[in-house]
Amino acid sequence: MGEVIVITSGKGGVGKTTTAANVGAGLAYLGKKVVLVDTDIGLRNLDMALGLENRIVFDIVDVTSGNCRLRQALIKDKRLDGLHLLPAAQTKDKTAVSPEQMKALCDDLRQEFEYIIIDCPAGIEQGFRNAIAGADKAIVITTPEVSAVRDADRIIGLLEASELREPALIVNRIRPKMVRQGDMMSIEDIIDILAVDLLGVIPEDEMIVITTNRGEPVVLDQSSRLGQSYRNIVKRILGEDVPMMSLDEEGFFGKIRKMFGMR
Amino acid sequence: MAISKESNNSPLPKHTAVDQEDLVDDNTILVQRTLRSGQTISYHGNVVVLGDVNPGAEIAATGNIIVMGALRGVVHAGAGGDENAIVLAFKLQPTQLRISDHITRPPDNEAIDTAHPEMARIKDGVVTIEAFQTPPERQAKP
Ligand SMILES: Nc1ncnc2c1ncn2[C@@H]1O[C@H](COP(=O)(O)OP(=O)(O)O)[C@@H](O)[C@H]1O
Ligand SMILES: [Mg+2]
Repeated sequence: MGEVIVITSGKGGVGKTTTAANVGAGLAYLGKKVVLVDTDIGLRNLDMALGLENRIVFDIVDVTSGNCRLRQALIKDKRLDGLHLLPAAQTKDKTAVSPEQMKALCDDLRQEFEYIIIDCPAGIEQGFRNAIAGADKAIVITTPEVSAVRDADRIIGLLEASELREPALIVNRIRPKMVRQGDMMSIEDIIDILAVDLLGVIPEDEMIVITTNRGEPVVLDQSSRLGQSYRNIVKRILGEDVPMMSLDEEGFFGKIRKMFGMR
Repeated sequence: MAISKESNNSPLPKHTAVDQEDLVDDNTILVQRTLRSGQTISYHGNVVVLGDVNPGAEIAATGNIIVMGALRGVVHAGAGGDENAIVLAFKLQPTQLRISDHITRPPDNEAIDTAHPEMARIKDGVVTIEAFQTPPERQAKP
């Protein structure tokens, strides 16, 4: 039976889709059978992050409304054998799917895949309700900005109220230099408020724009630090105990090590 | 449901059996979790939080508010007009703090790092914040 993980944030543009693409690709690269589900109906873009846009025939609304069979809507990734995508509909809106339909869909996907990664839309309305309806676990993304952290906190509260307890946190777009200068919230500041477990930290890196535009998940790039930060997250999802990596800025992660009792 | 008793000069619970009964009488709710952004509590009586009150969360109580953690949201103690109501927190860093009809906020551009539990109450007509002292010490003062 597969595990359903929803990737959510509250605030838009903090890196949910990028993270979903990379986590999914990273898991598939390690041999897992993975399906990425884009629930951002009306603002479809997970397909682009994977370079699969031109293969879409059916979408999630076609499946839930019975226009096609699940099999027909699933798109196989062009690079990774285990990776599949269930695309969002672009021409409908979030009310085209109900939480009950989402739950049933997740249960179907669970039979066939080891990991079902759900890319959630921004906001706290029906799109969010749909995305979390069938989830077993949640990953919350934030950036080191006060407003993003506030929205993440709101989302964590809503997740807890929906029995999705102990979500894991990813802090995206951190700039170590700015943190050191005191111009950006540190990981410690963020954890102090959100009080959840840290799953990983992803640095700000313009390389992500290039790789996303090309539809090549950067997690597959073995040479980059950025790819490494996603690979570490993937390993932690698989249960490995991977220490937080230093972002080349000495002492930057000293505080985290202390907090998590890693030396 | 009664609003906090007027007769109680020191609104904090004292450690005698009689006064503990007073507190029960005053209606106290125990919140055993962190209040996150967007979550609110409105209560006729005292509110005790075993956790944090995050920015974007709000508590309004006719009685006292005690936070056994970091208070970073908006709180209103004595919401029914009780000028004796207090707010007590391990880390008192509210976005806004109200007691009765007094509304206060922390000074701009001033990062407060509170190392000790602190208590806010109305003293001589203004909301003042002081280090929380144990009841015997505090009561010894005039
Ligand atoms: N670590 C990062 N460094 C630089 N840019 C990033 C990073 N993560 C995301 N971005 C950029 O931020 C934008 C929003 O990302 P996206 O994953 O679409 O967010 P969401 O799905 O939460 O709306 C995209 O243009 C993406 O390229
Ligand atoms: Mg997105």
